[in-house]
Amino acid sequence: MGRTIVCRCEDVTVEDLNQAFSEGYRDLESLKRYTGFSTGFCQGKCCTAHAARFLSALKGGDDTVADPIRTRPLLHPTPASHFARAVELLDEESK
Amino acid sequence: MAQGRRIKSPEGNPFERGKQVRFQFEGRSLQGYDHEPLAVALMAAGVRVFGRSLKYHRPRGPVCLHGHCSGCLMRVNGVANIRTCETPCRSGMVVERQTGWPSAGLDFFRAVDLLSGERLDHHGMFTASSVLNRIAGYVVRKLSGLGAPPTADPQTPVPISRFSSDAVVIGAGAAGLSAAKTLSGCGHNVVLLEAEEHRGGRLLDGATQNGWERIRDFKEEIESVAGIEIHVKTPALAVYPGDTLQVVAGNEGKTFWISARRLIVCTGTYEQIPLFENNDLPGIFGPRAMDRLVCGYSVVPAEPVLVVGERDATLRLAGRLRELNVTLAGVVTTRTEGDALTSLKRKNVEIFQDRRIVRALGGKWLDRVELAHRSSEQSDLVLDCRACVVEAPPAPAYELAHHAGCRVSFSSQSGYLVQVNDEGQTTHGQIFAAGHIAGSDSVDAAAQSGERAGLACALSLKDDAQVRRRLESMQKG
Repeated sequence: MGRTIVCRCEDVTVEDLNQAFSEGYRDLESLKRYTGFSTGFCQGKCCTAHAARFLSALKGGDDTVADPIRTRPLLHPTPASHFARAVELLDEESK
Repeated sequence: MAQGRRIKSPEGNPFERGKQVRFQFEGRSLQGYDHEPLAVALMAAGVRVFGRSLKYHRPRGPVCLHGHCSGCLMRVNGVANIRTCETPCRSGMVVERQTGWPSAGLDFFRAVDLLSGERLDHHGMFTASSVLNRIAGYVVRKLSGLGAPPTADPQTPVPISRFSSDAVVIGAGAAGLSAAKTLSGCGHNVVLLEAEEHRGGRLLDGATQNGWERIRDFKEEIESVAGIEIHVKTPALAVYPGDTLQVVAGNEGKTFWISARRLIVCTGTYEQIPLFENNDLPGIFGPRAMDRLVCGYSVVPAEPVLVVGERDATLRLAGRLRELNVTLAGVVTTRTEGDALTSLKRKNVEIFQDRRIVRALGGKWLDRVELAHRSSEQSDLVLDCRACVVEAPPAPAYELAHHAGCRVSFSSQSGYLVQVNDEGQTTHGQIFAAGHIAGSDSVDAAAQSGERAGLACALSLKDDAQVRRRLESMQKG
């Protein structure tokens, strides 16, 4: 089946975005919550700009609609062992 | 299993590889080179499908080779979801693919893709009864997910190093290196964080003229000034605003928690693949991924290679591939002039003008692409190619600045850029941004904006007439 993939982590296609838009999800954050783009392993590095451009084009080239989605730490996948010591560190400080 | 082709590594290549080693891939013994990325060793050995996508179980393979995408995830030594493009190959490693049944190579669930029509809408599926819904939830959880729990020993907690610094520079590309050098030259201590193993960013690309020499120059300059602490393979993970900025970064051996008075963000861009049918087929790479693979790691994944793009850097990459005797299927571009294009024509590279890519075709790996005239949807040309390099509109890595509260603005042309004034200062007064995330569109522009941001940042830390004059003369120039 030929598909145009916007978000390859979650297999979100151009058709998915079109459908979501036609159902009334017309800002980036709602589109994200409905289709799930940017919620996969890469956390939107490979799809957020695509989705923003797509939305802007659907709105007739209106770039102001594409306010960024909320980005949250951590930016890169990190093992929990990297932060295991932080608790001790904070405990010591609060003493 | 068609193997990739290894070519001779050119003089001065910063991407050194060690001796030959053998590692285990799903019960087979494969050969790679010590220290080269596992993804590269796998591609050289002919592994084409690295995994399957979550929903449609479409084949997946490496796309960016810079640790940003999810295309190269595998299970390595009993730990799931390892980015094989960032993991050095070592003797005796045990590597397995983690998605697909019975295997990622031949995946029964690909049927979902073939049978589900235009789109599989999960929003209304199995919602008629709560029992059915629970069963469906259970089945879907079994089907999806990313890898099984680890069988390796738990990792020991990594020590945390907490300290203060005048400034932190994130990203050691052209902009970050310039900024760090400038700041420390002005007498401030700087911590420079780089996610990759090598400093240089785009300067590492074979398509950047004299990039490798310029990195060596930077290395000497930076090592000659005191006050720069450089950490490679240490991505910044988060920035928290406050009286002083809190920057969190980490590598395999240490986690950094840095209180910084100033921050310069120079994180560059992420590689993307543009939108066309089957744009996710393995064999389709971004320009910088192909550049790194061939020019850096000296592996040609498959031939002939088709190059699609408009930017000078992309056209120069095509020229570089030709110089390295990689078979090209041609170059698709709307460009009609420029030195890079002229040089390609002189090298007898076939140019397809006024066309764009509309569809990729192939089973588990790229077989051919269909091109259409710029003004038409209908494809009128089919080209055989086993690898395709496609340029996409930019996607700046704005997230860290956004964490800290800097304003970013979107334009279809540039993507999300961090808003800066003439001096590279963001809307958060203590944070500066330079390079491609602030709108530079070339390595040289990035280096310049890095220097400017470095000067402005130094000035905001301590007023100094000489620094002020340098900044003013830069602004005029």
